[in-house]
Amino acid sequence: MSASLSPLLPKEDAREAALFFVVCALCFLAALSGLVSRSAYAAADAWTNDVTGQITIRVRGDDAALERAVEITQRTPGIATARPITRGEAEELLRPWLGAGGVPASLPLPRLVAAEAAPDADARDLVQRLTGGLTSAGLETVVDDHLVWSADVRKSIDLAGLVALFAVGLLGATGLAVIAFATHATLLARRDIVEILHLSGAQDSYIAGLFERRFLMLGVQAGALGALLAFGAAAFVLYLLRQSDAQIWLLPQLSLSLADGLILGLAPLVAGIASMIAARVTVVRSLSDMV
Amino acid sequence: MREQALAADDPVLRLDRVGLSYGPENDVLADVSLSLTPGSLTFLTGPSGAGKSTLLKLAYLGLRPTAGRVSLFGVDTTHLRRRDLAPLRRRIGVVFQEFRLLEHLSAYENVALPLRVLGAQERTYREDVIELLTWVGLGDRLEARPATLSGGEKQRVAIARAVVVKPDLILADEPTGNVDEEMGDRLFRLFRELNKRLSTTILIATHDLALVRKAKADVLRLADGMVMRVPASAMAARKDEPA
Repeated sequence: MSASLSPLLPKEDAREAALFFVVCALCFLAALSGLVSRSAYAAADAWTNDVTGQITIRVRGDDAALERAVEITQRTPGIATARPITRGEAEELLRPWLGAGGVPASLPLPRLVAAEAAPDADARDLVQRLTGGLTSAGLETVVDDHLVWSADVRKSIDLAGLVALFAVGLLGATGLAVIAFATHATLLARRDIVEILHLSGAQDSYIAGLFERRFLMLGVQAGALGALLAFGAAAFVLYLLRQSDAQIWLLPQLSLSLADGLILGLAPLVAGIASMIAARVTVVRSLSDMV
Repeated sequence: MREQALAADDPVLRLDRVGLSYGPENDVLADVSLSLTPGSLTFLTGPSGAGKSTLLKLAYLGLRPTAGRVSLFGVDTTHLRRRDLAPLRRRIGVVFQEFRLLEHLSAYENVALPLRVLGAQERTYREDVIELLTWVGLGDRLEARPATLSGGEKQRVAIARAVVVKPDLILADEPTGNVDEEMGDRLFRLFRELNKRLSTTILIATHDLALVRKAKADVLRLADGMVMRVPASAMAARKDEPA
């Protein structure tokens, strides 16, 4: 006599392999969407945090005008620090575009003042006062507090986050629909077994439990593989970007963090539970149509 | 629903003016009334397409009638909820002409199926199932899959599955339809033994009149959507009549 009894629902290799592949692919895409949107959000957050409170003043004129602009800026209430940006620093900022050969001596670089607002300063009010002070001193300047830029970046990233969330939701809904369809197909294909189970006195909940467990395991396994593939893909992209020495603003934040681990770890769990619920609801609804 | 004790004179199965139709002009059963007393063995005969299988399906709660009332073990099933049907089904064993064994399970596992459904642990029923399979002559085929069994062997497994929970009522739909005459006689002897040893009420739908005459049991004849009772003595006298 066999020590372990065969499962009451037979394995359906071809159908389950196809379903496994679909759930795995959906989990891969969902996990990857999550990873990409989190990385983009983290990068934008870090970038906007960096520029928040930073004020750059472009000064037209000679070195004396620059020194005067620094003095006025330092005296302006709400300014924590202010200093001129040297030609060397400006060249370093331009290096990604102009190369390591340096900036030709004949190329006129703008004279810049880098200032930082005090933490409690109202940015808009400060910029107004600063602009007023510089203008009244007879200096021709342009004051940039980066608010417009950072607001735009925030808006774009928020929008991208919503799109990613929508994509994950859509993938999840597709997964539920696929599982429900597959459960219904299995139920129809195994109507003979369901009927014998009913005749043997099985309640609907017992039969639903058989399908539930089957699809829970499938969801967890397919979700785990999908998450693993997403991790592999993200790690590969990260490796390629680091190898290529790419100068992109997103790169410093593109790393696999605890939050990414949470996304990857939750994917199989969510896939399993969603599969289980979809299977249960489908079976219970289908069985209620039978006698 | 609580399991209900059957009073001595309560019929195990009772159909009161039962009708079943699949549309206005498509009556399968018109007006069927019958009752089976506890411990009886009865044949249900009738021409092909008369509705014998449908009647059995109503009896094992696989269908609901469109008219009339089906009572099992003294319980009127007309308005029972789905979840209340399961306890009644557990008191019924069903045997089909086409066996309906689960192909991926062994003979042992097929017989043990109703016990698994009831949540019993294997160690509590293992010996009983082996004993039952030995009783039907398959003690050496415990691990055999249905695909490797002959028709007669499959039907014996199906009978063992039907009786493993010691049901109060066995419904058999053409149980000898897919086996030769000798095996048919052997299967009937199993039903007879169950009926005598355990007082199990048995209703066998068949068109095998030779078997019915040999059995000398009561007969219900289904024709034109209605049932008539034919005493065993009268059946023996109607040798030339078709089913």
